Amino acid sequence: MKGNKWYWLLSTVLLLSLFLAACSGGDDEQTKGEGEETSEEGTDENTGEDNPTQGGTITYAIDSEPEGILNIHYYGTATDADVLGFMVESLIDYDENLEPQPNLASWETEDNKTYTFTFEEGVKWHDGDELTVNDWVFALETIAHPDYEGPRYANVQTIEGAEAFNKGEAESISGLEVVDDYTINVTFDEARVNNLVNVWSYPMHEEYWKDVPVKDMLEHEKTRMKPMGTGPFKIGNVVPGESYEYIANEDYWKGAPNLDKVIVKVIDNKAVTGALQNGEVDMVPVHPTMGKDVEAMENVDLVTYPGLSYYYVGFKFGKFDNEKKEIVEKNEKYADLKLRQAMYHAINREEWVEAFFGGYGTPVNAPVPSSHWIAADNDDLKNHYEYDPEKAKALLDEAGYEDTDGDGFREDPKGEKFVVNFAHYSSTNPTFEARAKALTQYWNEIGLQTELQMMESSLYYDSIEKDKKGIEVFFGGWSTGADPDPSALWKSDQLWNLPRWENEKSDQLLEDALNVEVVGTDKEKRKAIYTEWQQLTNEELPMLYIAELEEIMGINQRVGGVEYDVSGANNANEWYIKE
Amino acid sequence: MLKYTIRRILAIVPMLFLISVVVFFLALAMPGDALSGEIDPNNSDPEYIEMMREKLGYNDPIHVQYYRWITDFIQGDFGTSVKYKMPVEDLIAQRLPNTIFLGIISLLFTYLFAFAMGMYAGKKPYTKIDHAIGGFNYLMLAIPIYIAGVFAIYLFSFKLGWFPFSGSVDIALTEGTAEWWLSRLYHVILPALVLGAMGTASYTQFLRNDIIDNSQKDYVRTARAKGTPESRIYNQHILRNSVIPLITFLGFDIVTIVNGALITETIFTYPGLGQLFLTSMQTNDYPTLMTLALMFSFLVLIGNLIADLLYGIVDPRIRVE
Repeated sequence: MKGNKWYWLLSTVLLLSLFLAACSGGDDEQTKGEGEETSEEGTDENTGEDNPTQGGTITYAIDSEPEGILNIHYYGTATDADVLGFMVESLIDYDENLEPQPNLASWETEDNKTYTFTFEEGVKWHDGDELTVNDWVFALETIAHPDYEGPRYANVQTIEGAEAFNKGEAESISGLEVVDDYTINVTFDEARVNNLVNVWSYPMHEEYWKDVPVKDMLEHEKTRMKPMGTGPFKIGNVVPGESYEYIANEDYWKGAPNLDKVIVKVIDNKAVTGALQNGEVDMVPVHPTMGKDVEAMENVDLVTYPGLSYYYVGFKFGKFDNEKKEIVEKNEKYADLKLRQAMYHAINREEWVEAFFGGYGTPVNAPVPSSHWIAADNDDLKNHYEYDPEKAKALLDEAGYEDTDGDGFREDPKGEKFVVNFAHYSSTNPTFEARAKALTQYWNEIGLQTELQMMESSLYYDSIEKDKKGIEVFFGGWSTGADPDPSALWKSDQLWNLPRWENEKSDQLLEDALNVEVVGTDKEKRKAIYTEWQQLTNEELPMLYIAELEEIMGINQRVGGVEYDVSGANNANEWYIKE
Repeated sequence: MLKYTIRRILAIVPMLFLISVVVFFLALAMPGDALSGEIDPNNSDPEYIEMMREKLGYNDPIHVQYYRWITDFIQGDFGTSVKYKMPVEDLIAQRLPNTIFLGIISLLFTYLFAFAMGMYAGKKPYTKIDHAIGGFNYLMLAIPIYIAGVFAIYLFSFKLGWFPFSGSVDIALTEGTAEWWLSRLYHVILPALVLGAMGTASYTQFLRNDIIDNSQKDYVRTARAKGTPESRIYNQHILRNSVIPLITFLGFDIVTIVNGALITETIFTYPGLGQLFLTSMQTNDYPTLMTLALMFSFLVLIGNLIADLLYGIVDPRIRVE
């Protein structure tokens, strides 16, 4: 890794200069007006290495099959979102701290209840029509329509009058007040700090869709083969489940893309390294276990950027009743905090991440990925749970877990046999079982007898969600989004609070952080509450936070202008092919 | 013959019913359901998932679910794929051409290899080359297809660069043009070659053994005595007789063509029915899974029926009571 630091510095400087050059270049192009061809101009004006060449095609691969729902209002998987990312745009964008930034629209609010959105003028749909606020109203009313079959209603529900519209009691959503083609006032049902990041922020081309009844939209050809957007690329040919052709949108409002085409191609994950090496794909997400192989390739750059997911080992503290929305039964087996601390200290997380994720990850001590703006500084967290088997053993001794029958394993404080039943999901990936085994060995070493159960993954999540018998200690991962609110995974009335952890202080803090009366519009105040919450979870250990992972992309060196931060890639119109 | 045919066809009906029951209950016995993998706080919420479960009828008693499925199925409504969210029949129609294309080309390869090797081995049994052919065939039979597929990609796509490693067509071409068809052929060759080469063993050995048997028969001795050239004896007299037992395989061949190749299609990212079947299994996409399973079973029955009928035509002893 020594040599890499220098290399990273260099490439960061290079990327930065590219970015700056691209920015200023973009301004130039905007002032030039629409009629001109963009291809020649760029090359004449700029000199030196960071001059984006015009034209060319790159192949962007994804290693799992998309569902093929090419309509942002209906998509359900991250893979479909990847494919759509080249052609649709959101009203708001996120910066490297995941704070919202104006994109197609900017906004103002005084009270977090009523927002005024101002749209960019002159943004064109791929068919040449202009984007107006009516397209957004159309999107919101489609999603709130009783016949809508997609999963996004939760993002519209909070607008005043959306419920009435959804039940068919109103002709329109009363909270949407169109001022003119570029201005709209949106009123939410109550003031919330996360109204903005929660609301559905993609417009839908009204003119293009208005003749299609909402109930037919999902299966419609326009969803499957002919999607419509405002983004830097427009759709060309589609071979369902296999490849998608994107053609440069020369009228793109941020400046025409440098590339002529992007081909998005589905490939089998076994072919990822070979295809990268061979130059048959230019960009592809790489699994951490293959990271080292890709790093060794001479023609490919490995780009890592902070991820938004973390892995954990959870404990079942009880059972959840989904009807009553509360935790109804308690499981005392892992209730002793010292036991959990001991299990935490027993794990050598650095070693484990190095062994099973090629080192592309960092241990975390609280359940928030460190690149998020609400993440507590590691120094603010009291415990860092370093690898310390001696301390772990001492903690177990203190708690009364001692080996009384001399079999080498500890018994519980009552003197009865104690076995940690640890569950992990299985797949065709052979490292899964190895990494689970490694964890059981750490615990065996401090005298806790551990048994591993590998379960097929859909059965696994089903069993965990339903608190099935036999699930006690389980391995899992969560990914978080732009909205920092962890309530859905942590509040005691939530189905996805999988450990069934009930803590009044935690619930209170999570509520306060969303309460306008407590935090107002002050970000720092909100962050302070989340920090307090993370300190609580750091001490109480409802789960053992293992590590956050980096996202890894393999990018062929012939591709330039690509940048990644925690919010994903930069705009694809800045990508180009080096000479 | 007519009676024989009708009896064979009628025997299929109860079989189909039993298969539908087995397919349905096996599918439902799979752990979890199509929605249990969707727990992702960014993308959906528990209420949406619960609502979908209710809407899809996963909460109904099992016999109600079966009755609903089978009555819809008989009326030609195969349901909506849970994963792709489109009617299963459209999904199948989208992928069937790829599968048939791959199936036919791979069968051509199989026949080509099997006839070349089988005829040679039958003509010169117990020679070194015959043993080599036998060895090669059993090796191909023994190698799991996912190993062969990955190896073929490594060698022919990545090292030699002769063939593409994924996909069914170059997306930039316009559908229907000559170039488009050539591109399709170019994309299908490698998977078809892998699939075809793996399937030669039984054909080759059947053909070889039959040629050896036939070469001891009286009509061959007569032909030899007449002074007919060896090549003519083998390529015409013996071959014609030795092809008959291969009819057994013909039924299966039809199945092969439509069935798709689960593993091969997946490794080569070749979107056909085999790949669809595999994903529908992984994602518990019941409507797709059950339709495909039933369709494949039906085709096996039809394939067997055709083989039986052909036997009946070729060998009259079979259709006698």
